[in-house]
Amino acid sequence: MRSKNLFLAFVLVAVLALPMSVKAQDGGERPLIGAWDTCADPTNLSGDVKVGLAFAQSEAAAIYGVSQQQAAELAIAEINESGYLGGATLVAVTEDAGSTPETAISAFTNLVGEDVSAIIGPTLSNQAMAADPVAFGTERQDAGDPLVPVIGVSNTRTGMETDFATSYGDGGNYFRRVSLPESKVIPGTVAQVVDILGIETVGIMYSDNDQFTASAYDVFVSALEELGVDVVATETFATGDVDFTSQLTNIIAADPDAIVVSALAAEIVPLLEQARSQLGYEGPIIGGNGFNAPGIASEDKGAGTDANGVIVGGAWNVARQNEISTAFTTKYEEEYGTPADQFAVQAYTGTWVVATAIRCADSADPADVLEALAATADFETPLGTFSFDEDGLPEHEPVAQIIKDGQYLLLTEESAAEVFGN
Amino acid sequence: MGFLASVGLNDFVITLMFVNAILAMSIYLTLYGGMFSLANAGFMAIGSYVSVILTQNHDWPFLPAILAGMVAAGLIAIPIGLPVLRLRDIYLAIATIGFVEITRIVILNFDKIVDEVYTRLHMTSEPPKITNGPLGITGIPVQTKLEHLVIAVIILAYFMMRMHRSRFGRALAAIRQDENVAASQGINVVYYKNVAFVLGAMMAGLGGGFSGHLSRIIQPGSYGFGTAVDILAYSVLGGISSWYGPILGGLALTALPEVLRPLKEYTGLINGIVLLIFIAYLPGGLGDPALWRSARKSASRISNFITKGKTADAGA
Repeated sequence: MRSKNLFLAFVLVAVLALPMSVKAQDGGERPLIGAWDTCADPTNLSGDVKVGLAFAQSEAAAIYGVSQQQAAELAIAEINESGYLGGATLVAVTEDAGSTPETAISAFTNLVGEDVSAIIGPTLSNQAMAADPVAFGTERQDAGDPLVPVIGVSNTRTGMETDFATSYGDGGNYFRRVSLPESKVIPGTVAQVVDILGIETVGIMYSDNDQFTASAYDVFVSALEELGVDVVATETFATGDVDFTSQLTNIIAADPDAIVVSALAAEIVPLLEQARSQLGYEGPIIGGNGFNAPGIASEDKGAGTDANGVIVGGAWNVARQNEISTAFTTKYEEEYGTPADQFAVQAYTGTWVVATAIRCADSADPADVLEALAATADFETPLGTFSFDEDGLPEHEPVAQIIKDGQYLLLTEESAAEVFGN
Repeated sequence: MGFLASVGLNDFVITLMFVNAILAMSIYLTLYGGMFSLANAGFMAIGSYVSVILTQNHDWPFLPAILAGMVAAGLIAIPIGLPVLRLRDIYLAIATIGFVEITRIVILNFDKIVDEVYTRLHMTSEPPKITNGPLGITGIPVQTKLEHLVIAVIILAYFMMRMHRSRFGRALAAIRQDENVAASQGINVVYYKNVAFVLGAMMAGLGGGFSGHLSRIIQPGSYGFGTAVDILAYSVLGGISSWYGPILGGLALTALPEVLRPLKEYTGLINGIVLLIFIAYLPGGLGDPALWRSARKSASRISNFITKGKTADAGA
């Protein structure tokens, strides 16, 4: 009697398992993303291919790190279900990179000990400056250990590629990122703004005692120069200032088509209120990355409607989605119950870029993976068509966004007309 | 090493544990003299920046640069200590937090200060970039080795051990108990307090120099209020009733979150609970001599029980 039950149970399990195994052989559903045709199905790969995930799972940066981790796990599940790596399984080795350089170094030390083919992370740029060299820095080079590629998905600090190359020579090539640095976002955004709004003259205001805003100012100036836009007035202020009326008055007196502002979040809100409500300036205001800070356009803490007509560049916007991006955001929301943000989209892209490099290299060896990674070109991702340029910097079309009533809308002729009312 | 790595303590973490043990000892000295000073994060920043600038911009060898950072922290401590140490208790804590913030902001804006000096003096040459503002100094080669730190900890521990029974240590203990009584006994309170403060600053500078050459990047943001509190926590958790308390505290508090790493998002929570339990049940800290005495007693009781148990078995 008992053995009969056991047999029935066995049959039941076998019947239930059958469709699963058929599906696995079938290769599952093929996702929209992936270099399915450009690279042939890998033949050499087998067993587990390990990739390290080092995002902030604790402390301050966990607000970004958790969605990065979820998106990367989603990508890995898709990659394995669809048989993207042939006979091999992509296995995530996860380490909490915390929110400080020290915790990130410790996470990277553990990951390189696990013989991973590549590491994705860490969340913050200063963590990357401290921890990435664990994978490819002097110590590893001297010890003769294989260098491991590191892919940043949220590091936007300018000049990381050159900094690493200066400090670690060829090892610096092992750093790649899918997140656009400001030096890439600003020129792309300015070009779109000039094209859509037909701007010929601008006035610039920037805070000259902060490295981030000062370097963004330099990028703005060279981008404007390239597009032949005249700078009719330049005014500076200091971080911590609260009154910008005299500088704004000088700029408005020069009657530019738009005002470019490079400032940090704390100065942006009073600056916007003074420009709009006190001095009555109604034209476009083009901002640096500081304008992406949460709450700038909120009614209670931010500038509210005074932020209307602010234009700022970003890597991704929920309003500009391609097929791949829509498929991802839908799936992400189904899986985790929260809408995907820019950090999730970039982490998802980064994971697929790494998997594609492994597929195209047809090898799990870190050096081969890096070679294939560096060759990534015209890869269709949720961020748009993605490539690495000749300097190893990421390249895809940034999104110009315009703020209207607290929302970041896509900048188009229609949305601009709606905001500026002409 | 294999066992330690398996519980999450890799080489880097072990090195960091000893750096923090040095920092814990640096604040122990002032606490021993009854001074609630949180200035050590500032001295750590000074030691860190001075030594890193010397090795990076001036090609100094590692050890002389570390010692220079230590001396720089000590020299700056003299003019800070003389006025500030007139304050007591919580007022001293607030004033020293102020010092930490000032140090951080001066480092943040140091290049601009240099720039301003150049303009005022009508110097034609380009002002150098020294601290590199908020972005900090990056690409610092890792030169801090575990053996340096172990040697430093042993030397400092020896110094601490001897201090307790020395004239200097007894004077500090007397000042901690009651400054006025100590003064009436002929102890030069101002002198001893300042010496303790300067020596503590030098140790913090030493710890800073080591940490600067360990994490490849130094930024002004790493030496704020949070670091000041961390250093205090090492010393308090370790216990200030013995010389080895702060060392244990620095080692344990650095290791704990790494050991708890597999808990992922619960790491911080469990870390906090463990600390609360320690503070509630071991107010004297990990290095409380009474705790170790009772631990030894119960250990001998257990071993007695085991040996007796064994003899009983053998007899049967």
